[in-house]
Amino acid sequence: MFTYNVKLAIKSMRRNPMMTALMVSAIAVGIGISMTTLSVYYMMNGNPIPDKSDELFAVTLDSWNPLRPFDDDRPERAPHQLTYQDAERLVELAAGKRQAAMFESSLIIEPASAEEMPFEATARVTTGDFFAMFKVPFIYGDGWDKSVDANAEAMVVLTRQLNERLFGGEDSVGRWVTMNSTRFQVAGVINTWEPTPRFYDPINGGFQEVNEMFIPFSLTRVLELDSIGSDWGWKAEEITSFEQWLNSEASWIQYFVEIDGARDEYIDHLNAYVGEQKKLGRFERPMNNNIYSVMEWMDYHEVVANDSRVLLGLSFLFLVVCLLSTISLLLTKFVGKKSETSLRRALGASRKIIFRQQLVEVALIGFAGGLIGLLLTSLGLKGIQSVYESPAGLVSLDWVIMSAAISVAIISSMIAGLYPAWRVCQVPPATQLKAQ
Amino acid sequence: MGFGPMISSLMRNKTGPLLVSLQIAVTLAIVINSLFIVLQRVEKINRETGIDVDNVIIAYVRGFGENFDVVDSVRNDIDLLSSIPGVVAVSVTNQVPLSGSGSGSGLRAVADETIDAVPTGRYTWSDKGLDALGVELTRGRNFYPEEIEYIRPESDSPNRDAIIITQSLADELFPDDDALGKTVYWGSMEPSIVVGIIGHMHGSWVGWDKLTNVVIQPGIYAYTTNKFMVRVEPGMRDELMPIIEQQLAESNRQRVVKGVRSLEEMAARSYRRDRGMAIILGIVITLLVGLTALVVVGLSSFHVTQRTKQIGTRRALGAKKRDIIKQFVLENWIITTAGAVLGALLTVVVAYWLETSFSLPRLDWSYLPIGIVSLWVLSTLAVIEPARRAASVPPAVATRSV
Repeated sequence: MFTYNVKLAIKSMRRNPMMTALMVSAIAVGIGISMTTLSVYYMMNGNPIPDKSDELFAVTLDSWNPLRPFDDDRPERAPHQLTYQDAERLVELAAGKRQAAMFESSLIIEPASAEEMPFEATARVTTGDFFAMFKVPFIYGDGWDKSVDANAEAMVVLTRQLNERLFGGEDSVGRWVTMNSTRFQVAGVINTWEPTPRFYDPINGGFQEVNEMFIPFSLTRVLELDSIGSDWGWKAEEITSFEQWLNSEASWIQYFVEIDGARDEYIDHLNAYVGEQKKLGRFERPMNNNIYSVMEWMDYHEVVANDSRVLLGLSFLFLVVCLLSTISLLLTKFVGKKSETSLRRALGASRKIIFRQQLVEVALIGFAGGLIGLLLTSLGLKGIQSVYESPAGLVSLDWVIMSAAISVAIISSMIAGLYPAWRVCQVPPATQLKAQ
Repeated sequence: MGFGPMISSLMRNKTGPLLVSLQIAVTLAIVINSLFIVLQRVEKINRETGIDVDNVIIAYVRGFGENFDVVDSVRNDIDLLSSIPGVVAVSVTNQVPLSGSGSGSGLRAVADETIDAVPTGRYTWSDKGLDALGVELTRGRNFYPEEIEYIRPESDSPNRDAIIITQSLADELFPDDDALGKTVYWGSMEPSIVVGIIGHMHGSWVGWDKLTNVVIQPGIYAYTTNKFMVRVEPGMRDELMPIIEQQLAESNRQRVVKGVRSLEEMAARSYRRDRGMAIILGIVITLLVGLTALVVVGLSSFHVTQRTKQIGTRRALGAKKRDIIKQFVLENWIITTAGAVLGALLTVVVAYWLETSFSLPRLDWSYLPIGIVSLWVLSTLAVIEPARRAASVPPAVATRSV
């Protein structure tokens, strides 16, 4: 029966090719536009580390200017980064299960042979806990342990790409790289790791590429590593040496903690630390220390651009227009099929059968529209990638979007087809035959 | 045939016309709001920067190694760049306008820490800086060469007795007074005198509402990482970029050339989100208008075919071709007008949603009448051809098929 329905439907679609083409393209365009914006939104809004997002917290301490808040528009917020001295102390206190203090820097890599040119590579300067906290996958070796952090040993974890460039992709654990005139030993090489959004550093861009290597946080002082990320300051301090910079009130260190206990307990720990600092004359603002879970941190930094929400809303309205077009076209088309329907009814087809016939036809149109819509979506995503110059592979068609596209196409076109199909069923068997 | 019978004919079969009206309404709401956003973004991207964007090249270098002498290297680099034929002016800068990254500071007109400082982008240039960007000093003077010194990371606070500021920063610091010659204060309450005023210039963060607040202090940064602004003769930029890169790389092996880029490209990158939004919405508008127009044409032609007999009857009863065309155009007009009324309402709803939920600027209401008029024109154009076809149905058709 179903194949017969399909056969009839295809016949009917062919009888009026212009109209069928118009309906299919209306649905295809609607699906293409709405699924493109939905993919972008879904990518931006995704949970980058689902199984740990409630155990990892970004830490903020209010060390800002006693005269005014960090953000005038949101006076309840503390600065979103820590000062170096506070980050260093919190790492030492180690109150959480794991802690990662970090910032972005860049180093000059000096190749072994004189013919090759030195080049610059970006590094995330962080504590050894980083890798376990954020579940970074390794191909070779591992992160470094606590003693490396404590003794400020020059160890480095390379990304796959940098290992490719320096060692041709071999297992380079234990080998040496000269950077900023210092010899670093390779501790490990990580596999491709692109959490999206880049939740551990939304401050310097939620959709940037991962840094090319990782080196111990304690090297900051030894190698006088400059940050290439953002820094914020409020106090007019004399800064003419790196030591003074590290002891300044400028906030430029991002800090994450992993806790398995209660959130309040950790905040109490922060308050106790700040309380001590207050005795030393720092932290003159009222006590305002807070921690944010991964998803809260994404919201805080408005990682999902407003534009992306606006596009999503407008494109779904677009889909509505496409469906309205489909309903109008179907209605018009079914009216033209009155005589055929009458004939089938007179020959004994029940209303149910006629109804089903119409829905099968509409579902076919929806399916075709959905398929073409998918093609348009993949085109649209390519287009978005090029206009926004985002790293390749950031937005791509996955099976969730693909199945969503096809089901939205079929379901919405069937909903669009309900009323016209019902109208067709109302055709009485006799009158139309008479008119012939 | 007047309105009466036409409306009653539309009412008899009201679902179809209603759907078309609804489609027109939603189309109108999307198109007007999107078009508004597009034009706003285009306007933002095309703002006058006050900078000779097309002819400026930015070179990033970084020295390394034990015996790298920063001041020597910077001095040599400036000499080298200045000697390249076609180069107009060269200056080191601490940050690049329009690039999206840089540093800011706050200035006050009085030395009182309790009042809010006026936020501004803070630049450090030599006396060649203005020329290297093609920025125009409207009043006062440029820095004197003797005011320029090398600033190393370990230097004590640099000499900044004389500063240059933009007119908009001047207006914000001294709303009722001329800023030229006045003293202003930094966060540390260190004073500086405004010696020159730039009429208009954009700073680094293109999305910032204080974009035109810029203060320039004299000096040449001598850090291991440095940025050079190089202005070249018009039309020579693309030719000179690889030459600059090559000469810098060859002149000093203790220095990495991190990149040589055109300011135009950097500015375009800063606006990529706005441009992306404008392009996507532009595509949405085009597709939407195209689709709705096609549907209106398609439906009208289908109705003409279906109503051949009725048209023939009317023609046989003495209706002129003109009357038939009038009938179709009027019918279409009623549907469009209903759509426009509903659409105006919907436009307001969508505009309100965009304004309150996303703090987008309020819709300029003049778009609404313009949108409605274009809608009328478009839908009339869409119906003319089917209507003419209808009018050409000969009166005999009515009698033939009975």
